[in-house]
Amino acid sequence: MNKELEHKFISEFQENQNIVHKVCRIYTSDQESHNDLFQEITIQLWKAYPKFRGDSKLSTWMYRIGLNTAITLYRKSKRSVPTQDFDTVLHRIESTDYDNTEEEQLKLMYKAIHQLSDIDKGLIFLYLEDKNYSEISETLGISEVNARVKMNRIKTRLKTILNP
Amino acid sequence: MDELDILKRDWKKQEATLPKISYDDIYKMIHKKSSSIVKWILIISILELLFWSGLNLLIPDSYLEIYEKFNLKTFLLVTQIIHYVVVVIFIYFFYNNYKAICVSENTNLLMKRIIKTRKTVNYYVYYNIIVYVLLSIILNVVMFSNPETLIDALNPENLNIDGDKFLNIMLIVQIVTLIIMLGLLCLYYRIIYGILLRRLSKNYKELATMNN
Repeated sequence: MNKELEHKFISEFQENQNIVHKVCRIYTSDQESHNDLFQEITIQLWKAYPKFRGDSKLSTWMYRIGLNTAITLYRKSKRSVPTQDFDTVLHRIESTDYDNTEEEQLKLMYKAIHQLSDIDKGLIFLYLEDKNYSEISETLGISEVNARVKMNRIKTRLKTILNP
Repeated sequence: MDELDILKRDWKKQEATLPKISYDDIYKMIHKKSSSIVKWILIISILELLFWSGLNLLIPDSYLEIYEKFNLKTFLLVTQIIHYVVVVIFIYFFYNNYKAICVSENTNLLMKRIIKTRKTVNYYVYYNIIVYVLLSIILNVVMFSNPETLIDALNPENLNIDGDKFLNIMLIVQIVTLIIMLGLLCLYYRIIYGILLRRLSKNYKELATMNN
């Protein structure tokens, strides 16, 4: 494929790479799987790039392919059980910002998110990314009403975990 | 503050700690090979298409001579022509379905398309199994209705053998081979599905139940 396109893709991707890292954080729990999924999403984005027409925003397009790769296309290369918890992977800089209860709550919530199904992870991810229900329903291919219902269930589930 | 707001705030905070992959590393990445399930499905499907359409090339010519003695040659020729037409139709559908897989589609549609592509190959395999079983039955019925010709054909040197016993053994061997073949196929499909499609099917079902 031509060099110009390649350069354009890498520059644009580099600017928006946070989206892909965040998808990896929701779907993987150790650094190696994170890198593995990151690479697969990058390859998928590059393969789809020549067909990207720009009728949607690049970020929207990246959310879609990122989630599709994580939910549908990605085959875990290892079957090993993750040894590290999600919250320990998050290297927080300012841990003083959190009081103990909050820290504890966050730990529990990230743990709970990791136990969700692939689809539910996708929903909570888009919610955390401030996407509205119409965008969520378009990304996953479900109706807006169903997205809302499902999201409320996940929220309730997370809250019950925190306040049993 | 609501617990979920705390989560959201924390989620936004992590932006600063996310890794930054360099231009060169991204360049290296996009030149690596994908290992997505779509690629695996494509490879396995092509192998299956080749395997099943190549299978009847393995039948030795001497068999065709035997069939000739039962006047089955034209019948076999016609079935073979029909078979190749069907193969071409299957390949056409498979190619179309495969081409329609688009990773920037919504998740539901993407999964639907992958499953449809894989299903085309499954139908192709079912079709082959049915044709093989049917053909074996037809050929056996014709041959066993003329036991003398059959013994003649299989025993050209006219060795002294017990005709009935010989035919019984032949029938049992054929049935056992068929059962073993079908057993191996079932095992193979369980493994293929277990490895490739279990997670996909599970996710697809979850989305489907949400939409119902």
